[in-house]
Amino acid sequence: MITRALRYLLLPLLMLAAFEAHAEPYLAVQTGFKCGQCHVNPTGGGERTVFGNIFAQTQLAAHHIDTGSDVWTGELSKFFSVGGDLRAQAQVTKQPGSSSTDDFEVEQGRVYASANVIPGRLYVYVDEQVAPTSINREAYGVYWSKNHDWYVKAGQMYLPFGFRLQDQTALVQQITGINMTTPDQGVEFGVERGHWDAQLAISNGTAGGPEVDHGKQYSGQLSYVEGFWRVGLAANINSAAAGNKTAGGLFGGLRTGSVSWLGQVDITDDKSLPAQSGRQLATLLEANWRIAQGHNLKLTHEYLDPNRSVSNDAQTRYSIVYEMTPIQYVQIRSGFRYSDGIPQNNLQHLKIGFVELHGFF
Amino acid sequence: MSFARYKTIVASLAAAGALYGCAGNGNGLDSNGNPVGPGGGSGGGGLTADFQSIQDNVFTPICTKCHQGASAPEGLQLDATHSYAALVGVASTEQPSVLRVAAGDPDSSYIIRKLQGTPGISGQQMPFGGPYLPQSTIDVIRQWITNGAQKPASAQSIEAAVKSVQRFAVDSTSPDDGSIASAPVPQIVVAFNGNVDSNLVNNTTVTLESGPDQPVLFTTAVPTGNPSALVIKPQVPLSNGTYRLTLHGPLANMNAQALGSDVSLTFTVDALQ
Repeated sequence: MITRALRYLLLPLLMLAAFEAHAEPYLAVQTGFKCGQCHVNPTGGGERTVFGNIFAQTQLAAHHIDTGSDVWTGELSKFFSVGGDLRAQAQVTKQPGSSSTDDFEVEQGRVYASANVIPGRLYVYVDEQVAPTSINREAYGVYWSKNHDWYVKAGQMYLPFGFRLQDQTALVQQITGINMTTPDQGVEFGVERGHWDAQLAISNGTAGGPEVDHGKQYSGQLSYVEGFWRVGLAANINSAAAGNKTAGGLFGGLRTGSVSWLGQVDITDDKSLPAQSGRQLATLLEANWRIAQGHNLKLTHEYLDPNRSVSNDAQTRYSIVYEMTPIQYVQIRSGFRYSDGIPQNNLQHLKIGFVELHGFF
Repeated sequence: MSFARYKTIVASLAAAGALYGCAGNGNGLDSNGNPVGPGGGSGGGGLTADFQSIQDNVFTPICTKCHQGASAPEGLQLDATHSYAALVGVASTEQPSVLRVAAGDPDSSYIIRKLQGTPGISGQQMPFGGPYLPQSTIDVIRQWITNGAQKPASAQSIEAAVKSVQRFAVDSTSPDDGSIASAPVPQIVVAFNGNVDSNLVNNTTVTLESGPDQPVLFTTAVPTGNPSALVIKPQVPLSNGTYRLTLHGPLANMNAQALGSDVSLTFTVDALQ
C-alpha cells in the first residue's frame, strides 16, 4: 500500500514514465502495461488503482487542473477504496425506411468499492451499476499470492476472453456473449509470470442467472505482453443441456509511433441453435491515433459472418470516434457508426451518431 | 524488430482486414439472412409495424437465441409457433400485474419496458446482455401494439377459413407436449385455431394433473385481445414432476364448434433445486 508521502514521490516518476492510461485496452497497448497496472481487476475494467488514478489526473487530460497537495487516488483509507464511471449520451439513429430517432440516454453509471482487508493480498470487490437500472455487475473476493504471481477469485465476475473493450456492442463481443454486461458466477484462477498472463474461469454459464443444468462454462486466455506489442489466445466452452457453445479467439496489439492497433478474431459454434446457425465469425481491427495528449482518434472496422454455413450474409460496421479529455476525469466522445449488411434487412443498415460525456474517477 | 518491418506488418493486416470485411450482397437470402428455399424465407422487406414482420426481424433472429424450447426464460417461447399466444394479453410472470403485451397500450406492455430497460422492471433489460434494440426498432413494436397488437393478416384469413371448414382444434401449447422444462413452469399457454368460448372454460373442461389422478389447482384466463388463447396458471409454479393437461371434448369456440375429443399434453419439469 502506498502511503501519501510515497505517492507524491512517485507522481513525478509516473509523469515521466507513461503516456496515458484509462479503461480501454488500446491504452494498455499504447503504454505497454498490463491491464492490472491501472485496474484493480487483473483482467481490466472497473475500479482504478492508485497508479491508474494518478495517470488519469496527470497524463490523460489535455489540461490538468491543479488540486494542490491533495491528489485523488480512490483510496479513502489504507483498507478501503472507491471509484466510478458515468456515461451519458445523446444519440441519433437512422434506419432506412424510417424517420430518424434521437434520444438522451444515461448509458451507465457505475460505482466500485474495494475492501482491502489484507492490503496487497486479500480484497473484496463490488461493481454496482446504479443507472439506468440498479444491477450488480461484479462481486467477488480475490486472494493474491505473496509474490503476486498468482491469484484466485471467487464470486460474480466478468469472464476472461480477449480484449475487454469499452464498446459492449462490438461484434466480437456479440458473438461470444462475453462482455461487461454478462458477468457470471464462479471462480477464476490467474497466473502472472513476467511477460506471460493466464486466466481460467469456471462458472455457471448462465450470465449471472441461476444455474439451470449441470453444465459449466470454462473461459480462459493466455497472453504475452511486450513493451510495444502483445498477443493472446482465448477459449471458451459453455456446456449446457440445450447444446454446447464453444468459442475461440486470437487477439493482439501493436504500437507504431503515435498509433496503437488492436486486432481480434473470434469464432463460435453454438450447438443449441438450429441448423448450424451458431457457427459465427467476427473480427475487429482498430487504430487509435494519439493526436496529442488528451486527444485520440479511433477508427474501427468490424466484420461479422453470422452463419459460417451461409454465403452472402456478412455484416460490417465502421466507426470513427474522437475522444477528447479536456481535464482530468472528464472525457467527451463523439462519433459515427455505419453498419452495412444484406440489403433486404434494414436493421443491418443503421447509421448512428452520438456525443457522450464520460466522467470517471 | 525494426520499425519499418512491423509497420509493414500492420499495413498488411489493415489491408487484409479491409479486403476481408465486406458486407454480403444478400443473394439467395431472406431478410433474416437465411437461405431462401422451398418453404423457407420470409420474402424480405424491412421491419414494419405488423406481427409477422416483428416476428421475422426481431423475435426469430434475436429473441429465440434464448426464448425457445421448454426451458425458455420465464416460459416465454418467442418462436413463430408460440410467440403471439404467449405475448398478447398474457400476464408477465416477472410482474403478474402487467401484461406482456397490452393491446393498444405500449407503455403498459411489459415487453416494451423490458426492451427499453424502463426503471422498475424485474431482471435485466432485453435482449439479455445486449446489444439492446435501437429505439427505432422498439418504436415499430410500440406502433404494432398501439394499432391493437393484431395477428398477421395471413393468420386472420386462415383462421376465418378454419372457422368455416374445420372443427375447433389446438394449434400449439407452451410448454409443448412431451417437452422437458429445466425451470419451474409458472403458466401454460394454449393457442387454438379460433376464439375460445370462455363460458365453457371451467374445471371440468380443463384439468391439470401431477402424476396419476393428482389434481393441480389453477386458474384460467382468456387473454384480453387474444381470444384464441387460454392461459392456465397454477397456484404455484410447477416444480419437478410430470404433468398432464387435458382439454376436454366439450370445450368449444364461439361458433359452438367443440373439440369433440379430449386433447392431452404431457410435459416434465426437471429443475435443479
